[in-house]
Amino acid sequence: MTDKDVKIGAALAVATCSLLGVAPSVSVAAEAEPKWDIDSAFLYYGESDGRVKDLSLSAHATRDFGDERTLGLDLSVDSLTGASPSGAIASDGVQTFTSPSGRDTYSTPAGEIPLDETFLDTRFALSGSWSQPLARLYTVNAGLGFSSEYDYQHIGANVGLTRDFNQRNTTLSAALAYAQDEIKPVGGLPLPLAQMTDAVGDDQTPGNRGDSSDSKNVLDVLLGFSQVLGRHTVLRVNFSYSDSSGYLTDPYKILSVVDPVTGELVGRTPAPGASGPTGVYLHESRPDSRRKEGLYAELRHDFSSKVLQVGYRYSTDDWEVDSHTLESRLRLPFGESSYFEPHVRYYQQTAASFYRYSLAGITPLPEFASADARLSDMDAITAGLKYGHMTAGGNEWNVRLEYYQQKAKAPNEVLIGNQIGNSQMPDFNAVILQFGYHFKL
Amino acid sequence: MGGPCEVLAEIAEESAAREVVDAVAACAWRIEDKFSRYRTDNIIARINASGGKPVEVDEETANLLDFAALMQRLSNGLFDITSGVLRRAWTFDGGNRVPSREEVDALLPFVGWSKLTWKRPVITLQPGMQIDFGGIGKEYAVDQAIKLAAQPSGAASASAILVNFGGDLAVTRARDGDRPWRVGIESLEPAAGAAPRAARLIDLAAGALATSGDTYRFVESNGVRLPHILDPRDGSPVRGAPRSITVAAPTCTHAGMLTTLAMLRGRDAEEFLATEGVRHWVQRQ
Repeated sequence: MTDKDVKIGAALAVATCSLLGVAPSVSVAAEAEPKWDIDSAFLYYGESDGRVKDLSLSAHATRDFGDERTLGLDLSVDSLTGASPSGAIASDGVQTFTSPSGRDTYSTPAGEIPLDETFLDTRFALSGSWSQPLARLYTVNAGLGFSSEYDYQHIGANVGLTRDFNQRNTTLSAALAYAQDEIKPVGGLPLPLAQMTDAVGDDQTPGNRGDSSDSKNVLDVLLGFSQVLGRHTVLRVNFSYSDSSGYLTDPYKILSVVDPVTGELVGRTPAPGASGPTGVYLHESRPDSRRKEGLYAELRHDFSSKVLQVGYRYSTDDWEVDSHTLESRLRLPFGESSYFEPHVRYYQQTAASFYRYSLAGITPLPEFASADARLSDMDAITAGLKYGHMTAGGNEWNVRLEYYQQKAKAPNEVLIGNQIGNSQMPDFNAVILQFGYHFKL
Repeated sequence: MGGPCEVLAEIAEESAAREVVDAVAACAWRIEDKFSRYRTDNIIARINASGGKPVEVDEETANLLDFAALMQRLSNGLFDITSGVLRRAWTFDGGNRVPSREEVDALLPFVGWSKLTWKRPVITLQPGMQIDFGGIGKEYAVDQAIKLAAQPSGAASASAILVNFGGDLAVTRARDGDRPWRVGIESLEPAAGAAPRAARLIDLAAGALATSGDTYRFVESNGVRLPHILDPRDGSPVRGAPRSITVAAPTCTHAGMLTTLAMLRGRDAEEFLATEGVRHWVQRQ
């Protein structure tokens, strides 16, 4: 078009007033109201057998500045309590461990999977983002995020660009995110594969610790494609690449050392007068880099007010953790102003190359080893239902109840002697209950 | 008026309120009767059936024709009140029928403001041509109704009144207590339940809002939704237009022209509105 930049507003105003026989007026006062759109939620997450519980309050607010310029703010507070599996295996006898601080001990009854009971944390997270058109058909967005818990700090930045094609039926997007995290575990960073020591006094540092903190950097690249397939269907495909480097080990996870033939725990006696571990346990060690690639495809179809969403994700990484996720949601209108939304998700992954159920002796030691069940062969199922209701004022409240079940299985090749057929994994179920309120200010 | 018409007014006295409602309804019917292209006994029917003979029009029709002529010029031919003939080839009923190039080409000789002669107060169409005020009429009616409702001699002269004809609306002033009128723009997203959902709420204290969109009228071709707006220069549907555009302006006619012209710009709609510097809200997908 050749007349793109010729403003016609003034001529139009004069012509309109002349047509209507009214005095020229510039009186127009229209503002998008409300300015803030807020999605708030209270979430309860509880694992079976007194394990991790999370109470979380979160709010996502967006402010519309008109002309497609929007500000987004996210705030959340999480309170985590409970016990988490340490990585050590169950034993016929009572096991005693030195706590992560290196200054206390705790015991696990015979036959039970050892849990670290001292797990307790509060997490604050805050992030903000800005999105606006950049040029014709281009939209740019940028954001900053920060989170803090007492042994972990995260700071991240991201920038993205989208471009519309094909009468805006096709959208391509590219995004880049960079994060720097600081890990400062209780009692300092355990040295890789160092033995758990006897508890030390308050003024001492356990002999198996290195620096007090370390960091990791994560670079994420996302390339997205979305295509309108007819009036009722939208296809979205994303490719993601993630490169993590630095301290990727979990400082609180340990491995049990077992007899290379029987697979039974190797016993240990604390020094005279000291309290300490009754078995040989080593702190885990993971590689200092991880490269992940993922492909995600999602189809949304609108069957005259029922909306079906089906998504599949494949992810692979150089730790040899390959995963498949299949997820689906169906939104069903109910009455004049309510809906039900069933949700199912299935997740499956293969074990990391350095996953071990336990370690057979301490010579020779592998370079990397972790007994974290989340790095084992694992699958997880989530099933839930959400109910939402639109109030007369245009706000929405909703309640979501979900059940989660995680089952891990140690690959046979990492089991030793009597462990074969007797391995116990820290499987669990969890319940998620969320109350949400979406309102405008 | 192609949609529900409503009057909202803050008037204590019932008789005064009735007077406003009656005046607005009478105004709506008068303009509908006078300019509807579906009637056979009005000025539009007379012009369209003139078979190439000159027709002398009244003052109000002449004003609308002057306005249409200016809009045609300002939009470089994108807005054209003779383009309705193209509807014979296109049926925007949500189906999949796309006419052939030949069908459209056969109609193009009857489309184009430059092919008619307008010398106030006489209009002469070529045989086979037609005009309609579909792109102006509703917004014009809103403005005329507001003018009538707010006229100083009326019983409700200083009252807060909102006139809404099928989604195009104007107000006389803010509500009592200086509160704005809160207007919802219907969302293109499926509602939670059966009731429509407001994509956006707009507080309007003065002026008017007009909305244009393909929410209900479209043709689907190879999976691409073709909106109901046609480029009169070649008869093709305008591609890449947003699904809904709302503009705020001092008058409803002014706002309505901007939504129509923005729609006609297709994928450049947002750029056009940004250049014009008007308050606007666009929904895509």
